[in-house]
Amino acid sequence: MGETLHNVMLLAPEVCITLFLCLLFIVDGLFPSLRSNRFPMILTVVACIASMILTAKVGKTPAAYFGGMVVNDGFTTFFRYLFFFTAAVSSYVAFGSKEVEAKSRIEFSLLLLCVTVGMSLMASASNLLVLYMGIEMVSIISFVMAGFRRDNLRSNEASFKYLVFGGVASALMIYGFSLIYGLTGSLNYSQIAASLIAAQGNVGLITWLALVLIYSGLAYKISAFPMHFWAPDVYEGAPTPITAFFSVGPKAAGFAALLRILLTVFAVKTGDGNWKAVEGLSLTSIIAVISAATMIVGNLSALGQTNVKRILAYSSIAHVGYMLMGLVTLDRSGITAIIFYLIAYCAMNIGAFWVVGVVSNIRGREDLEAFRGIGWSMPVLGTCMAIFIFSLTGIPMFSGFIGKFLIFGSVIKSGGFLWLALLGVLNSVVSLYYYVKILKSMWLDKPETEESLRLPFYHAVGLVGLAIPTIVLGLYFTPILEFAEKTLATLL
Amino acid sequence: MFPILSVMTYIPLLGMIIILALPRNNPNLVRWVAVGVTAIPLALGVYLYLSFDRSTASMQFVEQFDWIKPFNIQYYMGIDGLSIPMVLLTVLLTFLCVIASWGIETGVKGYYAMFLFLETGMMGVFCALDFFLFFVFWEIMLLPMYFLIGIWGGKEKVYAAIKFFLYTLFGSVLMLLVMVGMYYYSEPHTFNLLQLAQGHMFVGKTVVLFGHQLPVDKLFWIGLFIGFAIKVPVWPFHTWLPWAHVEAPTAVSVILAGVLLKMGTYGILRMNYPILPEATLWAAEFMMVLGIINILYGAFCAMAQKDLKKLVAYSSVSHMGYVMVGMASFTTAGVNGAVLQMFNHGTSTAMLFLLVGVIYDRAHHRWIVKPDGSKGFGGIAAVVPVYTGIMAIALFASLGLPGLSGFISEALVFLGAFSNPRFQTYVVIGSLGILLGAAYLLWMFMRVFLGPLNEEYKDLKDMNFREVFTLMPLCALVIVLGVYPMPVLNLMGSTIEKLLTLFS
Repeated sequence: MGETLHNVMLLAPEVCITLFLCLLFIVDGLFPSLRSNRFPMILTVVACIASMILTAKVGKTPAAYFGGMVVNDGFTTFFRYLFFFTAAVSSYVAFGSKEVEAKSRIEFSLLLLCVTVGMSLMASASNLLVLYMGIEMVSIISFVMAGFRRDNLRSNEASFKYLVFGGVASALMIYGFSLIYGLTGSLNYSQIAASLIAAQGNVGLITWLALVLIYSGLAYKISAFPMHFWAPDVYEGAPTPITAFFSVGPKAAGFAALLRILLTVFAVKTGDGNWKAVEGLSLTSIIAVISAATMIVGNLSALGQTNVKRILAYSSIAHVGYMLMGLVTLDRSGITAIIFYLIAYCAMNIGAFWVVGVVSNIRGREDLEAFRGIGWSMPVLGTCMAIFIFSLTGIPMFSGFIGKFLIFGSVIKSGGFLWLALLGVLNSVVSLYYYVKILKSMWLDKPETEESLRLPFYHAVGLVGLAIPTIVLGLYFTPILEFAEKTLATLL
Repeated sequence: MFPILSVMTYIPLLGMIIILALPRNNPNLVRWVAVGVTAIPLALGVYLYLSFDRSTASMQFVEQFDWIKPFNIQYYMGIDGLSIPMVLLTVLLTFLCVIASWGIETGVKGYYAMFLFLETGMMGVFCALDFFLFFVFWEIMLLPMYFLIGIWGGKEKVYAAIKFFLYTLFGSVLMLLVMVGMYYYSEPHTFNLLQLAQGHMFVGKTVVLFGHQLPVDKLFWIGLFIGFAIKVPVWPFHTWLPWAHVEAPTAVSVILAGVLLKMGTYGILRMNYPILPEATLWAAEFMMVLGIINILYGAFCAMAQKDLKKLVAYSSVSHMGYVMVGMASFTTAGVNGAVLQMFNHGTSTAMLFLLVGVIYDRAHHRWIVKPDGSKGFGGIAAVVPVYTGIMAIALFASLGLPGLSGFISEALVFLGAFSNPRFQTYVVIGSLGILLGAAYLLWMFMRVFLGPLNEEYKDLKDMNFREVFTLMPLCALVIVLGVYPMPVLNLMGSTIEKLLTLFS
């Protein structure tokens, strides 16, 4: 009993979110009038903040609990922070948007909190079944969220597409899990790793097949090549605040799961704090190719787009490519770079989608034409967008540059994948072309009619709140870097 | 110690914030604040000039402290004989350009904010002694430049702006790779440019690229060189230049030609030369050939232009070729000539662009010969004598007439290059450029200013006080440095001498 209680205590942040979820239900039942004002949002933000505080409290010593089903280490802690932050910001964005109707705000909050628990589970799972549960929890609720605008055809299409892709990916992944179970007799990460090491390089085709299948499932979550096809349509169709959330939250969760599986199951820690692939599995070249393909596909597809949401959707695929570069060398600096990149990406990408959401609320559409001259009528919005866009391109002074600097640094340091680094920087030149198209619309093109638009204070606060860390992290990132390193050091 | 370089760098940034906070409906207030803000770095620049120690090659006015500890990145600013002429050029031209931009009517606040931001970037590039810091400033400069060309430019501004941005970013990302590479291949890992320049760190190391073992130092050299060459611009990376220079508003063209182009050659002298001397020697011939191509190609292109501004733009390509030739000669005279040419080209081209801007403001076109073949300007010397006089000075300075500044630097460049036996043939070919330069400039002068007056322009107004005011300091510099170049040569002498010991 004491043991169980202790275990539950370690799960406190997720429990906290769940309790708030129940509270939302109850309050909604008792006071239906509250559902259409800002109350659900406030409750969501409070839930997220409370969970962050709890995360700080429980995250002291790394430990596995519930019989090794889940672990609580620095890695979990980091991703919990990231998820709760993302959820809080997303709900703030959503409540300022017309795309999330007032009458269904409570549903939005409920679904968001649910997904957050699922993401948290994905990051802490150390058992394939728990991981699967986490992924399904995120996926299924995401399908609903994508189709949030029931009366909108695009939104329905997004939901359906997401569902079909998700179903296939899940099926592939669970098949991979079953193969692993058949091979090693366990679903637990550390036991699988032990039997893979014990095989001493005697890795058969089946192991590879299992690896590929598991990768497919996770690639779907992070929208990496070749499982990225759903992303543009889903991102375009879903309400913009939800897109902002999708492009950061579930993606980061996918990265959490991918990193943990790769580093603890298919690789072993070496003495100097780096990792090397389990004997017989030459992972690095494969990751390099996937990373290259992902960023090329993302960037080249974005070039021809005219819908800003689609541009950002493809750009978010390209960013996955950059982040995967950090995995290629399987060393500490690369993974640290990924963690930093996720932080930077979280702020700048939510920010960019947020701007799109605001514009789309005003103009009712999201193509480049809708952005025409909007920088001049709403300078704060335009300046913030410029900051996010330059950061996404990876121009110095902004956090995106530091992310790329760290990633490219880790690749160059290893010396082996210079071509990938070269490809990466060339890709960021290509990406400039489509990013700048957005800025061109906003600033260089003059508005057709003189209109006086005002950016609501509500949005201005939030956008500036995301723009500031984007600049600050670009100029001084030592604390975050140290935090990321600490995060990794305790990876179980 | 008073952090004079940082103050000079960040005062414009502060000014930008002030300007953004000013009310939108009072453009004159914005303009005067911008003048006031840029006057401060100018005044400090005068102080720098007066108190700069000319006898030493070491860094002066140094500010150094840790910035990002885990990567050993420092905030390290300082200037030596190579940077101070560029710093002075920057503060002077920015100040004059702010005055020259009085005619900007739309988005005045944004324009001046971007202009001041640009000055921060330029100052930073010339003062930074840490590669990371240098890179940050180098790229920061792109952002205001993109908007300045793209918002306040001419007809094809959008294309010109994106072309400029893409080209420069392409160069920068290669520089980024080299920067990271230098960090990891140096022992101990550092971004400090002076430390990197000590003891030939990258000689003999190799790296595998596409299955080939390649020497690291030469790869670094090529990466850096492309990054800088795009900025210079060295043929064949020059195609952004005519677009950007022509489409940009006058003051921005002045900054582009006067300061930004110099960043390329400055970068080569600051990084390629001291950090990778072996590779530099290896590539000397290559640089020399590119320099000669630049001189001749730029001159021929300039000769073919019908647009006055495009002619001046191509003349920049030609004149930057002299800098390349001087640098590649590895002689004291040559390199001194190159750096002096950087300064002199900054003043004379700035004059030319300002003058083109003056006539464009009045006639709203710049055709020497209109595209349909009919006559553009003609014989306007009769109606605008002051304008013609100043144009003549700028033009003769630019083509290297003895007694004006261009002559000294071009003479030094060729003198230096000729005294290196390897390059004598090249020099003979390259000196044709002087002839061509005289040809296109004088031909232009003849067609625009001399001959019978085109009646269309008989009411052309001569320059007003503000315009004369912006040109007078440059005029004075061009004449004074043409007679007595020592004020600038003295500044850089020791630094260049020390730099060249690496190659002897």
